Amino acid sequence: MQPINRMRTEFLSKSANESFARVVAASFAAQADPSIEVLADIRTAVSEAVTNAIIHGYGDEEGTVVLTCVLYPDLIEITVEDFGKGIEDVEQARTPLFTTRPDLERTGMGFTVMETFMDSLEVESKVGQGTRIRMTKHLKSR
Amino acid sequence: MDVRFKRDGNSLVVMIEGEIDHHTASRIRERIDSKFLMEPVKNMVLDLSRVTFMDSAGIGLILGRMNRVKLIGGSMVIRKPRPEIQRILRMSGIKELIELDA
Ligand SMILES: Nc1ncnc2c1ncn2[C@@H]1O[C@H](COP(=O)(O)OP(=O)(O)O)[C@@H](O)[C@H]1O
Ligand SMILES: [Mg+2]
Repeated sequence: MQPINRMRTEFLSKSANESFARVVAASFAAQADPSIEVLADIRTAVSEAVTNAIIHGYGDEEGTVVLTCVLYPDLIEITVEDFGKGIEDVEQARTPLFTTRPDLERTGMGFTVMETFMDSLEVESKVGQGTRIRMTKHLKSR
Repeated sequence: MDVRFKRDGNSLVVMIEGEIDHHTASRIRERIDSKFLMEPVKNMVLDLSRVTFMDSAGIGLILGRMNRVKLIGGSMVIRKPRPEIQRILRMSGIKELIELDA
């Protein structure tokens, strides 16, 4: 499938950028005229992925988060990438309610939210190199 | 983001306005916890009618406050969540733990 449009933005791993990232992704997706429910799902999933990059990927260090959106005729592909500490055991990390930061009142629901709100979720991670989340969502009702 | 409070008998009514994510949750948490300590109340009502966005940080925020309320034998109610945030409330299972006042 040939992409219709593509955007890429990078920003510092500051928590203020969580809202920036979800607004940017949703307004890019809006050009395909999806339902408000679909836009809400995209906002929430992007917020989860970017928050993870900021608090788990980088923690107290500062780094760069890259958000990429590719628009296809009836689908959007969203990638969130960090170059932080990576995930040792991706399967365990994706388990509902698993969190390494209960001290921050994290619930371990982030990956479950991304999986539920999007149509697909892939997690690629290397310890010491970073994590790449790829999610897709159909934009038209099927 | 804004947090406003009202006392209603034995309950602290907390009205949260705006978006709840990891960035805003820490300030919301501090404001609620210090107010809850200061007021002679046992119960908490979380009015979510003006919350326009919430991700799993909001679930953590709600569960954390619920634990504090339970600790002193009080109860917690969630009031009037908008349709936009009902989906995440539903999938979190919070509706089985906390009374919902639609
Ligand atoms: N980008 C990331 N870099 C490093 N670790 C991550 C990343 N994303 C997720 N993780 C790990 O996966 C766990 C589960 O993530 P998630 O489901 O979003 O729950 P939470 O953010 O509430 O901990 C995190 O606690 C963390 O250990
Ligand atoms: Mg998370």
